[in-house]
Amino acid sequence: MNFWKNLFKTEKGPTKGEALFFKLFELFVVIFVLKYAWQWGPYIQQIGEVVLPLGIAQYIDVSFMFEHNISLFSAALISLFTIMGFLRIFPKYSYLIALGLFHLHYVSRFSLGEISHGSNFIGMSLLALGLGLFFFGDKPVQYRRFIMGFIFFFFGLGYTSAAVSKLIGTGLIWPSGEHLWLWIAERSVDVASAKGQFTPNMIQEWIMDYRFLGTLSLIFGLLAEFFGFLFWFEKTRPYIATALIMMHFGVYLTMSIMFDVYIYELLIIGYPWAKLIDRYLNFEENPFLRKTYRWSMKIS
Amino acid sequence: MERREQLKEYQKVTLITLVIYGLLVATHLGEFWPFSIYPMFSQAGNPWKRAIVQDVTQENIDSLWKTTDKNGLPGKTVALNELNVNTNDIANYLSKTEVWTPKKQSGVRKLLQKKINESNLLVYQARGSLSENDKPKVDFIPYLYLSSDTTLLNKDLKVK
Repeated sequence: MNFWKNLFKTEKGPTKGEALFFKLFELFVVIFVLKYAWQWGPYIQQIGEVVLPLGIAQYIDVSFMFEHNISLFSAALISLFTIMGFLRIFPKYSYLIALGLFHLHYVSRFSLGEISHGSNFIGMSLLALGLGLFFFGDKPVQYRRFIMGFIFFFFGLGYTSAAVSKLIGTGLIWPSGEHLWLWIAERSVDVASAKGQFTPNMIQEWIMDYRFLGTLSLIFGLLAEFFGFLFWFEKTRPYIATALIMMHFGVYLTMSIMFDVYIYELLIIGYPWAKLIDRYLNFEENPFLRKTYRWSMKIS
Repeated sequence: MERREQLKEYQKVTLITLVIYGLLVATHLGEFWPFSIYPMFSQAGNPWKRAIVQDVTQENIDSLWKTTDKNGLPGKTVALNELNVNTNDIANYLSKTEVWTPKKQSGVRKLLQKKINESNLLVYQARGSLSENDKPKVDFIPYLYLSSDTTLLNKDLKVK
């Protein structure tokens, strides 16, 4: 029971900082849902055939999304329901409907064989918002606590699961430096294919010269992911968030893969911003802050 | 008391979601967006397959149907970002297609349509693996030749 209390913080009194932070976090999720919806909408129109059916595409033929601008219509509907959710119009169902359409959008966009994880955390956050408003929608303090605890739980689980997958898939030798050599070679083809050319950066050159640097880098990444479950505890959350952000930067420097949305989301939810807002910002003296707070309360 | 009930509700919704999460990923090979077991990079050291597209407008196609290394790639590499095509999509399309039906062939053509109108393209599959001395080795195998009115396939590919 203590674990769940710590996760959802039910004993703590509500604060203005918490309410403002929550609405800003919600805005972040909404912005990225819209970004993906409109990035994928036109792309889906270029697709000719389903090569790998994912999710719901295993049960329905999603090729209807590829023609007649249907994916653009879907992007518009996702945007509409997400914004309705944010403004608390039809609040019980808006985010959940957006999530269902977003799933269809995802399986259509990634029907060519690639399994992308770049949007999973935004999808999980949208699910958290949807469930929070569905079950606790009439009590803002309650749904805020539920949504944040739910996100901490599944983010921590996701990272730890990634480390366990590596240990099951390869075993304890996963962090051997030559494995990173092979991935750097793979990425050199990908980057050349995407940009027309590939020039290794200094860190990639060092790693290709010294195997132990690759091994150290992979050990750090594996440990950071393995301890992802430390996200469940308020005291350890900023430390594991920092380690995971460093890990994501490491992936970028060594393999030229940028999980930018993961970094943003870790920066937002990994640190006690609500406490800092309460401690250092005076809502009464600052008119901009006061207005922002009041406006965010209106749509809570 | 009320907080206790509230906590039980949170716990219940989270655990039911966890069960649904587990069931969906267990029955869908680890992926049911947004649920995932996050298996990326879990198979370390395994050979991989990627793709690269070369503009071979200036080349004679008959001499190009052979496996080569990076330095032997003919023409100029096409930057797929400029066509708004994700390189992973081409790579997966090649690696997951077993029989090259006319529909599959037109699928690649549709992705590269913007460039085919002005250039002749040769789509390569890149195959990487660790050699005996643990150094990475990458071979480039020509798969499809695409021009505005022609599609030619590597003779080793299955066609229907």
